[in-house]
Amino acid sequence: MPEERLWKFRKPEWMNSSTARSAGVYAAGALSSLAFFIMLDAAVWSKSARNGSDIHIAFIDWLPLIFSFLGMLIINSIEKTRLSADSFSYSGSGVAWKARVVLFLGFASLAGGMAGGVTVLVLKYVVPQTVWPTLYMGVSNVLANGLVMLSSVVLWISQNMEDEYAYNLAL
Amino acid sequence: MAAGLKTIISLSFVLAIGFLLVILSCALFKQYLPLLVVATYVLAPLPNWICGRCANPDDFVESSGNAVVDFGRFCTGFLVVMGVALPAVLAHSEIIRIPAMIMSIVGGLLIYGTIISFGLFFQEEQEF
Repeated sequence: MPEERLWKFRKPEWMNSSTARSAGVYAAGALSSLAFFIMLDAAVWSKSARNGSDIHIAFIDWLPLIFSFLGMLIINSIEKTRLSADSFSYSGSGVAWKARVVLFLGFASLAGGMAGGVTVLVLKYVVPQTVWPTLYMGVSNVLANGLVMLSSVVLWISQNMEDEYAYNLAL
Repeated sequence: MAAGLKTIISLSFVLAIGFLLVILSCALFKQYLPLLVVATYVLAPLPNWICGRCANPDDFVESSGNAVVDFGRFCTGFLVVMGVALPAVLAHSEIIRIPAMIMSIVGGLLIYGTIISFGLFFQEEQEF
């Protein structure tokens, strides 16, 4: 294993413990919850008495977040070990190729959600030159999509820890 | 077992304080939405528990067992943050007031802490 290492810095030892792994999964859940509630907060706020403007959150504003969550669902449902399946001689039928296509769709959906959030911010809030309390609805959109992205990164890393952990135990 | 009795008494005391704070945050301002926090925190340990029963984490032959456990942890993390975020959302839109938000968050955390520490203290020792 150590001969196949590519990077100069190795992964710190504590990252391989099962405690760090479950903490990472909890943190991913917390981050995605935070993303959902930031968006929900903007939606509730837009219908409340404190929103003085006549711009409201509509389905358009939710659409990027839906795509982000879809992408997160896809890329974390993939079995990570199948990605390198082509290097084994016994695996035919192109499982790794399929896995890469689906993974690409997931990442495209995640990035599309982020880009959609920025698009909504620019087209709906920046171009009509709204001021801060109204602008918050657009900023929260970008923030929510960024948090979903961060959450899926954390989840991805902690799922990759699992392999090392299993390897250590199997020895 | 004397320690167990003391633990039970103090835990139930903390639980009662938590419920008192949440109900106070509703009843003082005649706005009963913060009661949802209690439901959230009662539901929060459930996914972890159910998925823990479903899967065997030491099963290396099929790694799908681990995925179920991870899904349960993900849901629990989601619900715990939801318990804090819900009063904050309500307070930001002036549906409830800031004191009500603080009271319901503190009360909810006390309730959740009671549930978690109850699970920790009275976990049955599993012998292999």
